[in-house]
Order: sequence, then structure tokens, then C-alpha cells
Amino acid sequence: MTQTQPSSNLTAHSPVPFTAERGTLGNLLMLLVPPLVLFGMFILLYAMVRANLEPHRQFLMPSGYELWDKAFGLSDVRWELLTRSLTTLGIALAGLCISIPVGILLGVIMFRATILERAMFPNIVAFQSIPTLAIIPLIQTALGFGTLPKVLIVAKFTMFAIPITLLLGLKSVDRGIINLFRLQGASWRTTLVKACFPSAAPALFAGLRIAASLAVISAIVSELFFLAGRGGLGQMIINSKIDFKYEQMYAALMTATFLSVCVYIAFTWLGHWLFSDWHESGGKET
Amino acid sequence: MTLQAVPQPPDRTGGRTGDASSPAGLPIAGNDVALSFENISMQFPDGTQALEDVSLTIRKGEFVSIVGPSGCGKSTLLKIASGLFPQTSGIVKVDRSQLGYTFQDATLLPWRKVLGNVELLMELRGFSPEERRRIAMEQISLVGLDGFAEHYPKRLSGGMRMRASLARSLALNPSVFMFDEPFGALDEITRERLNDELVSLFMRNGFSGLFITHSISEAVYLSSKVVVMSRRPGQILEVFDIPFAYPRDPELRYTPEFATLCSEVSVSLRNAIEN
Repeated sequence: MTQTQPSSNLTAHSPVPFTAERGTLGNLLMLLVPPLVLFGMFILLYAMVRANLEPHRQFLMPSGYELWDKAFGLSDVRWELLTRSLTTLGIALAGLCISIPVGILLGVIMFRATILERAMFPNIVAFQSIPTLAIIPLIQTALGFGTLPKVLIVAKFTMFAIPITLLLGLKSVDRGIINLFRLQGASWRTTLVKACFPSAAPALFAGLRIAASLAVISAIVSELFFLAGRGGLGQMIINSKIDFKYEQMYAALMTATFLSVCVYIAFTWLGHWLFSDWHESGGKET
Repeated sequence: MTLQAVPQPPDRTGGRTGDASSPAGLPIAGNDVALSFENISMQFPDGTQALEDVSLTIRKGEFVSIVGPSGCGKSTLLKIASGLFPQTSGIVKVDRSQLGYTFQDATLLPWRKVLGNVELLMELRGFSPEERRRIAMEQISLVGLDGFAEHYPKRLSGGMRMRASLARSLALNPSVFMFDEPFGALDEITRERLNDELVSLFMRNGFSGLFITHSISEAVYLSSKVVVMSRRPGQILEVFDIPFAYPRDPELRYTPEFATLCSEVSVSLRNAIEN
């Protein structure tokens, strides 16, 4: 047997310095580039749409000047945006005030016993699968045109994610921690409160963020179907279409988006504030 | 017969130096049973026979280690003692209210700081907040975590987490302390240091120990008795008495006598794995 010479593929690697820390300029770029990219894309889209609209259809995409002149610049429009935002926000938050406790309760009930989970989980999925818009006429007939049906629609929209994420979190509690509690003879309730809830809280907050992002949207959707009385931003969108005030419609849309993002950010911050100290998902690396 | 709860006041004075009344230097010499397994068999619902006719007695002041092949039912034995699993047949005699238990990993609650973690078991037992705080700070200091009481587990090293876990169990001052491979995930040097500290804690608090490990030298260093178990279904094959006096000198590890004992246990363990 002949000894084959091992082919030599050695390459010399010189030391490579670690990437230097970002300087002041780097930090500044870090801060400015993301919004600039977003803004640039926005402008590009706007210009493309506007360039392709025939002159008599330009109202479909008002210019920035028109937007200021006929909507944001007018104090009564600004006042209307503010009051209607508060109405919409109220409906969204009231809906969350129903869906969050009910969702948490459902999650805990399903966690209590497998048989309860088996009994309830399919119903929750089925409830979520009902096309909400299709049953709005039914809701109108049953509950009238007040605030309550709108709040219930928001609650229906936002509830699903809460028991699902909570149940997942509760079921993922470290077995060792559960054993630790069992060895001290801790009751189910003590274990739930002191071990399961804190452990499941980050998962629950992921669900709450989904719910929060849906809350404002669903509040506006519900308003589109309930035009009686003085409503929120959804009603303003319909009204401005009827009155052919597309600048105001855009103003309402932008305000609605802003509102939705604000609610989402509020829940994200709350979660970060609660968990960044100890949870893997948050905080600075050490 | 069940064992009575015998509160064990920690020996805070003479333990370390080795009492003249106990020739082997054991903190408590006596024939009182701390924990005993009598003809324990364990079959899991899926049919796996984990333990077969295991009888083992740990007397007060004894430190017994169990070595055996992976999956031989060592941990199951601890779970039976603590009541986490019920045995299929046989009797366990133990005072469960006086039982300390340290798991394979530290199982600290990540959302609580070290102090909160060390207080946990006392909290579940209904100690007053002031008492909890006082005892917890004492234990934290005892395991060498001074200055880390306000740290979250995420910020601690593996060895420090294990110290916090030990402090949590020690806070209840258990009379029987069970360890399920607590130092398995640690590096050799950290493990040896923690072994030294565990011996001091054993001397100081005077508990009886039941320690599960894969490391033969750890077993011999810590214990007054080393038990070798067979492959599944686990049976006790051999019991070695370790004659070295407590407190144990870290240099003991480098003596020929220590090496001889380790190799004897090692041969026995190899037979256990191969047969």
C-alpha cells in the first residue's frame, strides 16, 4: 500500500480585529437610516400612484399640501380627529377590557384539566372562525346601534390570541419548578399564581400585543357598520366619502394607523418593562 | 411505622473540628434511621422496570452516594423518597417535612432575584417575611453569594445558580438532604470547590445526605458510604464504606488511599455496566 501524501491546503489566517464599536456617526446613522428608508419608500409609492392617476382622479391621492390645507391645517378638523380618536380608542380599550379577562379566564380553565381543554378549545377555534362582518347585521338586530355592540365586536376580534398564548405559556412551565412547589405541598392555586402565571406572562404578552394591534382596527371596522350618533374615526371615513372630502378621509386613516401603532407600542413597552430584567426575550446581553 | 419529625438544631460550634465523641469525626454519630428504602420496586405505567427490590438505609449523619449506569433508576429512587412518584412495592421511611431536595439543574425561578428564590420554600411553608429575609440572607452568605442577592438568575454563572439552589434548600434546614446530580453540568474546578463547600455545610448543618452522581471521585470524596447500582432494573450491587474522617481535606483527592478506593468503585461500576 502506498502512502499517499496528504495534500496541503494550509492557508495562513492573520488576526482580524473585532468590528470596532459604533462611533457617534454610526449611532446617528443607526437612528436616522431606518426612518429615512421608510419615508423614502413612502414618497416613492406616493409619487408613483400620483403620477399614474388621471387629473380628474387625482383626489384619490391628495398631495401633502392639500392634506394640510383641507384637513390637518384646519382647527375644526383637528378637533374632530381628536374627539373621534378618543371615541374609537374608548371602544378599542373597552373591547380589550372584556377580551383580556375573559381570554385569561378561558386559558386558566383550559389549563386546569385536560378534559376542560378538550371541551373548550374547539369551541374557541369555532368562535374565532365565525366571519364577524357577516354576523354584524344579526348583532345590530339583537343589540341595536349603541356602543355595546361595537365593544363586543372588538372583544370578539381580539379575544382569540389571548387564551391560546396563555395556555401555551402555562403548559410550558419548567417541570422542575412544578416539582419544587409540589414537594412543599403547595396548592394548585399557589402554584398557578407563583409559578405558572409569571412563567407564562411573556407568552401571554405576545398574545396581548396581537390583541392590541387588532383592537383599533376592529373598532374602526365596527364603526363602519354603525353610523347612528356621533361615532369615531370609522364614521369619519364614511362621512368624508359621502361629502367627497378625501383629504379628511386620509387624515382619519392616518390618525387611525397612528392610534393602532400607539396601542401596540404601549403593550410592547409594558411587556418590556415587566420582563426585560429576567426573560431571555428582553434586555441587554451581558 | 413512620419517622417522627426530629428537628435537627445545626451544630454551629464543634462541627468543623471533628468532635471527640465521634471517632470518625461525623457530626452526629448514631444508629437512628434518617431515610430507609425497604424492598422498593418501581415499574412505570409503560412497563419499564426501573428499580427492583432496592433496600438502603441512611442513618443520621451519614452521607451516602449512589453511582450507577445512566438510566438505572437512581433519580427515581429520590423521587420515590420525596413522594413525587409512588413506588410499585416496598416501603419508604422518611420524614418528608424535613426533606431537602436539589435537582439536576438549579430550577431557580427566572423572574425572581436570588433573594426571592432563596426565600421561596420558606414562603411556601408560611414563614413570616422578616424571618424569611433574615434566614435567606444568612444562607446566601453561607454559600458564598454575598452581594448577589439582588441579581436575577440570568446574570449568574452555572456554579452560582447551583449555590443559590443549595441556599434555597438549606434555608429550611432539612435533616435529610437529597441531591440529584447537582454538579453534573459544572466544570471540574467549580465542582471540586462546591464539593469542599458541601462537606463544610454537611459538617455545619448536620443533615444526612443522599447524593446521586456520575463522578466516582466526587462520590468517594463526599461520602461516608458509596452505593453502586446495576443497570436497569436498578439493584444495589455493592456498598463501599469510605473510612476517611470528616472534615475532608481537599488534598485527600491526591492520596494513594483515595485513588485505591476510587479504582475499586470504578471496577465495580464497570462490572455493573457490562453485566
